[in-house]
Amino acid sequence: MTETMQLGKAGPQGFFGRLRTVVARRTEGRGVALLAVILVTVAFVEPLVLTAYPVSLGRIALIGIVALGLTAVILMGELDLSVASTLALSGVIMASIPDLRLGVLAALATGLVVGAINAFFVAVIGINSFIATLGMLFALRGLAFVISDEAPVSLANKDAGIAFGLPLIGPLTPRVLIFILVFIAIQVFVSRVKAGREFFAVGGNRQAAYDAGIPVKRRILTGFLISGFVSSLAGVINTLERTTADPTAGSTVLLASFAAAIIGGNYLKGGRGSIVGTLIGATSLGILQVALTLSGVQVPVQEIFIGAILLIAVTTDPASIRAVVGGIRQATRGRAKTETA
Amino acid sequence: MAKETLTETIAVAEAASIEPQAKQTTSGRLFMWVADNGIFVFTALLVLFAVIFVDGFASLVNITDVFHRAAPIGIVAVGMTFVVISGNYLDLSVVAQVATSAVIFIAVSNVYGIPLAMLAALVAAVLYGLANGIAVGFFKANAVIVTLSTTYIGLGLLRYFSGGSIFFGPQDGPIREFGLGKLGPVPYSAVVLLIMTILLSILLTRTNFGFLVRSFGVNEKATRLSGTNTGLVIIGAFIVTAIAAMIAGFVLAAFSNTAVSAMSDGYDFRALAAIIVGGTSVFGGKGSVFRTLLGVIFVSVLTNVLVLSQISFGYQQVALGALIVLAVSVDAVARKVSKR
Repeated sequence: MTETMQLGKAGPQGFFGRLRTVVARRTEGRGVALLAVILVTVAFVEPLVLTAYPVSLGRIALIGIVALGLTAVILMGELDLSVASTLALSGVIMASIPDLRLGVLAALATGLVVGAINAFFVAVIGINSFIATLGMLFALRGLAFVISDEAPVSLANKDAGIAFGLPLIGPLTPRVLIFILVFIAIQVFVSRVKAGREFFAVGGNRQAAYDAGIPVKRRILTGFLISGFVSSLAGVINTLERTTADPTAGSTVLLASFAAAIIGGNYLKGGRGSIVGTLIGATSLGILQVALTLSGVQVPVQEIFIGAILLIAVTTDPASIRAVVGGIRQATRGRAKTETA
Repeated sequence: MAKETLTETIAVAEAASIEPQAKQTTSGRLFMWVADNGIFVFTALLVLFAVIFVDGFASLVNITDVFHRAAPIGIVAVGMTFVVISGNYLDLSVVAQVATSAVIFIAVSNVYGIPLAMLAALVAAVLYGLANGIAVGFFKANAVIVTLSTTYIGLGLLRYFSGGSIFFGPQDGPIREFGLGKLGPVPYSAVVLLIMTILLSILLTRTNFGFLVRSFGVNEKATRLSGTNTGLVIIGAFIVTAIAAMIAGFVLAAFSNTAVSAMSDGYDFRALAAIIVGGTSVFGGKGSVFRTLLGVIFVSVLTNVLVLSQISFGYQQVALGALIVLAVSVDAVARKVSKR
């Protein structure tokens, strides 16, 4: 009896042992490391970033909101490249409708329609989501150009936009508040709601998820609806804050939001990752961007920084490290064999 | 030994895709035929349509213009075919590669002469190919994300060092002569495209390297287990793409006699459209360089027809985006049908 009890307790003992299992199960390690490095560097080099935290918060919300929606899709091992154009298109649609409320509704509906179209191509036709959403990225950008007549559209109701930019609760602007709400909503959805938890199963092993009776296609639809809706929400926020909608908007958001999600430990093949990780990734990128801007670093150099971080993030996930270590081991073993032979 | 095993793998894979086809109904067979060979018919029909119905298409000036515009995109596309056939989706960083090569070519040749400029551009191209290839081949990272990040790194570096300024070439000299020169009605740039197509087609179909690229696209695991260093094959595919993009940069710079970091916007997308429409599968393994050339003709003629019909840039983007999704859908459905 005691023996079986001990067999059951196969896991590591003690506080540090348990801590190690918890850490091993989490996926946010790289995001936390990057955030720590950036925070320490910033505290010494440009402490202004930390005192001017409302600015940093605004930047984090800008990068993070699209990344949060993207994470829902990445958890299932799919990718949504069309987020950047969805953002631009919904902004343009919103600005070209004179009535503000109707405009916002139309913009959000645009996001849902785009999500549904993406899901149709991925789940029903069976196209790889990278290619399907890449096609959508260009088609939707074209549509944004068509609707806006290839020029920025200014918002009819400018007062609403100005009011939107002002702090609402304490130093928090509506943008930051919406970001926090979206974070809580998606976090609760993927960690507490059955449909959301099934995202991990769909991403981890699609066939197994299908065999277990999970409606895989419907989950993929849900995921793309979330990412489409959230990116159109980001488009609405952007348009309100700037009081104009630019059809070319969102090209930098594409890079930054992917970087945030991937640094946050979301595994691109699906099944592993967390919304908290994306938040950490967005936070580190937001602080980095604000710090670089405050130190007078030019925009091209900022792009180099974020591009490099994305490249490092995508080549240092556990599977990549395993692939490289495995490759080296195979190469050395192969050499040893030929030497003995 | 390795090659024989792989030949069998490919033969088995091909047999599997061909055999059930014979049992298909007439409509199924027709669909498969259209999915496979439709591009030949569609290109012919499109050209015929343009000649008859579109004003100003069938003039020498316009045809020369089509050639001039098609050449750099086509050179990028025939190179990128290697990455697509190897099953790695695409190389988004060709945008940065073409611009880098063009700017280096004009800026360096103004000061140090053409040979040194070509050498510098070659170094940059090989660096791009190595960065993408190592990340995708050895680190097994997602090609779309890797090339997205190298695009931004490359364009950022280019804008930083060039200060975003426009570089002008000399008013006369070999670059200008090449850029404006023609062989009969065909500009030199289109001749370069044709030569690149033939060379890369030989590389893809007649050499060991090309064979390994194709077999990697058909079955990655079998290729690795047969003792191939698959990482090197992927690096090779990305370097071929980078060198083609470099040559496209030369051609583009010579034609416009200027170079600026934003000159190749949308090349990734147009090249991908040409490759996919030509019938090279984004699922890897299937396709050819000549098919890509056909796709380039189709996409270029289509763009030209849209421009001549005074359809705005926005609608052109919508049309090309829809074309990509449609062509991939046809390929995906054809795969499902043939598996059934």
